[in-house]
Amino acid sequence: MNLQPLCSVLGEQRVSTSIEDRLVYARDASRMRGECLAVVWPSSPEQVAFLVEWARQEAVDLVPRGAGTGLCGGAVPQRSVVVDLSHLNAIKSVEPEGKLVHVEAGVVLGTLNRRLEPAGLFLPVIPGSHRAAAIGGLIATDAAGLRAVRYGLMGNWVQSVTLVDGSGQVRHLSGKALGDVVGREGVTGFILEAILRLAPRPRERTVTIMAFDDEAALLAQRDRWLAEPALTALEYLNRHAAALIGWEPRHHLLAEFDSDQGEIEDPGQVRDLWRDRDGLYPQLARCGHPVIEDPQLSGPGLAELLRWLDQHAIPAFGHLGLGIVHPCFAFDDGRIETLYESVAAWGGRVSGEHGIGLKKRAWVDERHREEIRRLKQIYDPHDIINRGKLS
Amino acid sequence: MDNPPCIECGLCREVCPIFEVLRREHISPRGLAILAEEGIASPVFYQCTLCRACRTLCPVDHDPDGERLRARLVARGVETEANREMIANIRQHGNPFGPLEEGEIPKRLTCC
Repeated sequence: MNLQPLCSVLGEQRVSTSIEDRLVYARDASRMRGECLAVVWPSSPEQVAFLVEWARQEAVDLVPRGAGTGLCGGAVPQRSVVVDLSHLNAIKSVEPEGKLVHVEAGVVLGTLNRRLEPAGLFLPVIPGSHRAAAIGGLIATDAAGLRAVRYGLMGNWVQSVTLVDGSGQVRHLSGKALGDVVGREGVTGFILEAILRLAPRPRERTVTIMAFDDEAALLAQRDRWLAEPALTALEYLNRHAAALIGWEPRHHLLAEFDSDQGEIEDPGQVRDLWRDRDGLYPQLARCGHPVIEDPQLSGPGLAELLRWLDQHAIPAFGHLGLGIVHPCFAFDDGRIETLYESVAAWGGRVSGEHGIGLKKRAWVDERHREEIRRLKQIYDPHDIINRGKLS
Repeated sequence: MDNPPCIECGLCREVCPIFEVLRREHISPRGLAILAEEGIASPVFYQCTLCRACRTLCPVDHDPDGERLRARLVARGVETEANREMIANIRQHGNPFGPLEEGEIPKRLTCC
């Protein structure tokens, strides 16, 4: 592999084969490990297009990486060169009247929302990793998060995307074509810039927490709250997770409203509650359950899942408003396979928001694989970008 | 108490003052935790400021433990010239800057 052309175009400081870089870029937040041949840090679409042409000549694949907060190994290389987009982190323009923002892919969601606060706006897609996750990754996974029950997925907020495809071509995608990049986990090209729609920041947030002894009562309350127009989040915590974090060992629902109808009105208390909610997964990880999954179900399938998790004493939480549940396991827990086999039988999806990456390829159906093959033919016929992911 | 292991979530990246400037994973607190776990003896550990801003956001309260890591590096002979000079100055002159006259303002700041 001849890296000299990359050093000439990107600069020697932006190309590395050091053992330190190859080790840390061989993994992401999924803690899966791959093999990283080199790391590069481009700073323009032209440099990314050059990288693609170089990779085609060298017959090596390129793995896009934002903040490395993905949980399915989407940024884990497999004898690949990792392309870290952290230097593409400019907020290029904000249009408060049109509620639009033009950002580069490496912009961090938390940073963006802090910048938008004085304008009374925000990007309302708030995954647990919102303090660190980058916009490119949010688009690539079609992220959901805490407030998706009200605001929907990331795709709802993307107006257009600038992409460098596997032929080195810069494409500007909007409308229906966004379906070729949103939620495609980077297999169709490098997401470099996006114009995003923004929402007005709610003036108030109030919260109600309720505890339940059985899933049927909990799901009945869920349905009642889902009919409330002021609902902005509907989160779930089962009794096994509650016990591990020091709460009363019962199933809990947490509902947030952008009105005064919640029981907890004090902004400080509401902020503390969400901080605790953000810390749920890390706390469960610390208690010996570091592997987090994200099946999505509805109707009777969702009730089956909650019962199955309870019967097997598996701690779980999630965005119950959307039917996305996060069971947490120890490494190599054989019940993960049983879970995904059951999810298929219950009519659910294996991934509600984390994506497929490397981790869930075994559970992807043939129709999905065929769709990825079709997109690869259009956008990346030489299979240069994020090879082997998603299918 | 045991230091909880890093879970590699990456939340620490955005509060690290060194990462903010360099934006390279290997000098982020998560990167350093991975290198420490892998037993890598590298001068990059000296780039950490030891400020522990990462710990304020760390959801599992992992401590980067930079002092102990550096002590191990020194014991293995892995040290930056700046660190060597700073330690020698402290031992010889009682300050990290080197010989200073009374009231003299240091002209050169040695750090890691």
